[in-house]
Amino acid sequence: MLHPVTLAHYLVVGAVLFSCGVLCMVLKRNALGVLMGVELALNGANINWVALSSPALRADPAWSLGLDGQLMALFVIVLAAGEAAVALAIALNYYRLYLSVDVDQASQLKG
Amino acid sequence: MPDIDGAKTIPMLLVGAWLLPLGSFGVLLFFSPWLDRRGRAAGWLAVGAVAGAFLLCTIALGFWLSQPPADGFGWSQHSVSFADPEAAGHSIPADSRHSQPPAPRHSHALRVSEQPSGPSDAGTFHEANRRPAPMVGRLFTWAKFGQYEISISYYIDTLTVLMCTMVSLVALCIHIYSVGYMAEELHEVVDPLVLDAQGKPLRRPGRFGRFFQYLSLFTFSMLGLVLAGHLVMIFIFWELVGLCSYFLIGFYRERPSAQQAAMKAFVVNRVGDMGFLVGLMALGGLVGTWSLGDLPDPAGEPTGGLFSQLQTLLAGQPGPSSGGLPSSDGGFSRTLWILAGLGIFCGCVGKSAQFPLHVWLPDAMEGPTPVSALIHAATMVAAGVYLVGRFYPAFPPEVLWVIAGVGCITLVIGATIALVVTDMKRVLAYSTISQLGYMMLGLGVGGWAAGLFHLLTHAFFKALLFLCSGSVIHAVGTNEMPQMGGLRRKMPWTAWTMLVGCLAIAGAGVPGLVGLSGFYSKEAILAQAYLFWNTAPAVGGWLFGSALVGAGLTAFYMFRLWYMTFAGPPNDEHIYHHAHESPPVMVAPLVVLAGLAVAAGWSVPGTARSLQQLLDQDRPTLLAAESSSSSKLVDQAPVDRISPEESGRAVSAGSAFWPVPIPEEHLSHDPAVAGPVGWMAFAAALVGFLLATVMYGLRKLEPARFVQAVPAVYTFLKNKWYFDQLYEMVFVRPALWLAERTVDADRHLLDRAADGMAVGLIRLAHLEDWLDRRWVDGLVNRSAEAAYRLGLELRRVQTGQLRQYVLWAVLGAVAIFVLLSLGS
Amino acid sequence: MSGSILPTILFFLFASLACAGAVGVLLLQRIVYMAGALLVSLAGVAGLFFIAGADFVGLVQLMVYVGGTVVLLAFGVMLTARRSQPGWQVPAGQWAAGLAVGAVLLAVLLWSVLAVPPWRSVWPTVSAEGAPSGGVATVTTGSAYQQEAQPGTIGPLGWALLGVRTDRAIQQDSSQAPLDSSQAQANFSQAPPNRFQARPDSAQTVLDPSQEDARQTGRSGYLLPFEIISVHLVLVLIGAAFLARARIPFPSSPLPAVGEAGLTNGQAG
Repeated sequence: MLHPVTLAHYLVVGAVLFSCGVLCMVLKRNALGVLMGVELALNGANINWVALSSPALRADPAWSLGLDGQLMALFVIVLAAGEAAVALAIALNYYRLYLSVDVDQASQLKG
Repeated sequence: MPDIDGAKTIPMLLVGAWLLPLGSFGVLLFFSPWLDRRGRAAGWLAVGAVAGAFLLCTIALGFWLSQPPADGFGWSQHSVSFADPEAAGHSIPADSRHSQPPAPRHSHALRVSEQPSGPSDAGTFHEANRRPAPMVGRLFTWAKFGQYEISISYYIDTLTVLMCTMVSLVALCIHIYSVGYMAEELHEVVDPLVLDAQGKPLRRPGRFGRFFQYLSLFTFSMLGLVLAGHLVMIFIFWELVGLCSYFLIGFYRERPSAQQAAMKAFVVNRVGDMGFLVGLMALGGLVGTWSLGDLPDPAGEPTGGLFSQLQTLLAGQPGPSSGGLPSSDGGFSRTLWILAGLGIFCGCVGKSAQFPLHVWLPDAMEGPTPVSALIHAATMVAAGVYLVGRFYPAFPPEVLWVIAGVGCITLVIGATIALVVTDMKRVLAYSTISQLGYMMLGLGVGGWAAGLFHLLTHAFFKALLFLCSGSVIHAVGTNEMPQMGGLRRKMPWTAWTMLVGCLAIAGAGVPGLVGLSGFYSKEAILAQAYLFWNTAPAVGGWLFGSALVGAGLTAFYMFRLWYMTFAGPPNDEHIYHHAHESPPVMVAPLVVLAGLAVAAGWSVPGTARSLQQLLDQDRPTLLAAESSSSSKLVDQAPVDRISPEESGRAVSAGSAFWPVPIPEEHLSHDPAVAGPVGWMAFAAALVGFLLATVMYGLRKLEPARFVQAVPAVYTFLKNKWYFDQLYEMVFVRPALWLAERTVDADRHLLDRAADGMAVGLIRLAHLEDWLDRRWVDGLVNRSAEAAYRLGLELRRVQTGQLRQYVLWAVLGAVAIFVLLSLGS
Repeated sequence: MSGSILPTILFFLFASLACAGAVGVLLLQRIVYMAGALLVSLAGVAGLFFIAGADFVGLVQLMVYVGGTVVLLAFGVMLTARRSQPGWQVPAGQWAAGLAVGAVLLAVLLWSVLAVPPWRSVWPTVSAEGAPSGGVATVTTGSAYQQEAQPGTIGPLGWALLGVRTDRAIQQDSSQAPLDSSQAQANFSQAPPNRFQARPDSAQTVLDPSQEDARQTGRSGYLLPFEIISVHLVLVLIGAAFLARARIPFPSSPLPAVGEAGLTNGQAG
């Protein structure tokens, strides 16, 4: 039963993380929760990048993305960090104004 | 004057003389009100301009006479001696009229040189044919359409020079006279013939300067017409002359009669000018040019002028006897030629008041008397005769017969009506018509020199007569001769100068000895008519007879006028009492003109030079006659030995339609013709004079008895042959009727149609308005409303809920995925 | 086969950690717990990276995410956490809808992952005609992902940033001679004509030089993007600092007193 771990395994994990992240975004009223959901989704995507770049997971290593995938993962991590910083700053500002980080209250863009 | 090149100087002088009155006109146009406040300055300005013009014309005449005689007979001789293209770049000597073979002319010259010379001997005019070539040149080119060129150019020959001199001289006299005559216009004028709204005589500011302005323009136009070397230019000045006459006839524009007279003159002239235009077009289409002389083209080569082109065309034609049917090959069409001639003559008929367009001239007496003098003597009516003389060689014989016929009818009509008219100026007007008829008759029967000679002499004595009558009217304040009488004691200068004029127009003189100017010119015309009778006995007799009777009638009505005015006891003591001699400024021109009326027909003492001789030298030959080869037969045979049949066959200048010849004019100077005709004319004039003396001078015969004897004739004449009534009935009434019908049609049809159209348009506009509001606007509004509603609905989607947006995004992604997998 | 079992076990361990953390983040209601669950999940992901051979990425994941971002989040949580936050409960309907959508999304993702044959197996998928040599090859290449001898990726990544692709260079050296299958696995840069199509025998492949040239010129270093990212990050951090800095609220602010309270709170944090 112990099949070797395949690419699909990684991708499944990535899909689970992504779905959880998106659901977090949908279901959390706390802005920080939403932010966490974003991080989760990004991580799910990162798993895919890394998995696709790994030569060990492919029958033919030439099919892997190689270092390109890893570099993309790196960029994603870095950008996620920046995004988190900005998002947190926004959340803090919002909190200062309304003493709350409830995203349902932030509906000024309501049509 | 050997150092001065006449070919350059003469055009310069004449153009200067032409433009001087224009300058006067221009100044007066802008400054006449200003000048009017300064006495007679405007008058003297115009007089100065015309005097300058006259001076220049006289100098030009002197140059012309001093031209070295062209002693050859071919035009090549002329080109060397007179108008070498290199010497005078603008003068091209290619007059076609000299390209005649020299032999017949030469033999003819030899023959006439044997004639004894004498002042009244017709034969002396032909001692040498030294006709100089015309000077032609272009002042500037106005427009060019292919071969047609419209240019301001001049065409100077003896006729031009003489006409210029005559016109400027007569105009000068009339100008000077007007300075005195129009003096009342210097101040506010009370016109008793016009009532204002309150029923009082109209008071209006004087128009002294305005009068001289028109007078200057008139002189300018006439000089331009005489100088013109291009048909279009001729037409322009022709119309200018008509326009000026319109202005001047209607000078007292407040008077309805003056307005009507001016309009009548203008409209009647339009009728003639219409024909003139047709003639111009026909002539242009026929010969391909409108230039009279042979103007050089830009390369300097002479291009064929009207006369030379026409001659070339005629030379290429078969003889007229072989049938002058219109050619179908696009070449020369004799019908078109006749049409052109008739058209041009039609213009002359209008201008020169020939039958049937003579009706405007008597009414033109509404203008001030100097204007009448100018119109009758120098400008307006002279223009028509001048033009016939100018185009004379280009006329086909058929047109010449028409001219002769029209002239004859006019002569009789004018003379007979003048018998019964009591208005002094109108008598003169009808006498003018009659004399113009003489001129046309003379031209028509081939007497080119005779007709134009009569034009010149008539200008002098008719101007004299009019100015005298003006002097009388000025003195007595009425035109009606029955209210005058015995005035010779009050105004001797006027009386005696007018007597001179009467004698001149009646043709007083002793045949073979001496006579006044009218004697020579009228005798020349009669002699030519006699000659024509000889060659064409059928109609020539009528023509000659009418002319002879007309001469007698002329003497009768002129002396009737003089006797009624100046002789006998005064008919109206009141008028007689107030009559007075005119001021010297008016008398002086009378004396000058009287002198000219006496002496214009004389030759310079000691020589054979005279006006008639000058004209005779420049006499053109008919191109139609030139093209026929047999005219020399008549040249050489003595006239009394030519039977009519012979000459009819010999001088086949006529057409195939009506082969009546036009006799050569120099034959009329033959003593065999001139002698008897002179005596006949003398007798006719004498009869007329004696009858007038008996009836009006001695009052032995009561005119009323004649009236009672033939009342129908009297009424007929008194009503001027019912021409006005006839025209009223034939033209004016139908025109008015047509106008009324047109007005009706306009009101009831066109207006209604226009109204209906407008109403329809309004209805249509309402419909469109409804469509626009209901459908076009509605559609736009509906769509806008729909978009608005859609926006309102869609607005709900935008909840502002972040989490919902994420949900929707996820759903969208899933949906895309599903759609893609479904599609693949 | 015990050598091949350990990575598999480790994989399932980390994978379960990551998934459990993610589900924890989703399901836990207290924000602090959520942060903790997130920490677990991210750490698990880092472990997965290690197993997949991306050691540098795993390191960065640990340092940046676990050490940086989560701490940042924790600070945010502490700064904004309030004692009582009534009405934060998400309605059950929303829960249901969200879970449904999430389930659909997950299903779609899983379906797509499992629908692509090469992803499902380490081995090249046997084509419809059968795979004569595939079975043997599966065994040999099955151990490929657990090669301990594989060098770390830190050095190659650094070189790659500078534009030197060591992985591509190896392929050039080895492309001269025909390779047997064992050599081919070390040389993981042999280019198949089609990435998603199984290649029965790599030994038969003759490299296309022109294709190689195109690849080399097309894949150069990542230095420029990296620098751009760096500058971008600097700007982002400056922006974050600007946004997050304390400031006096506008007088017209709808909640001035609250704003001030928040301000003091922020300053205290």
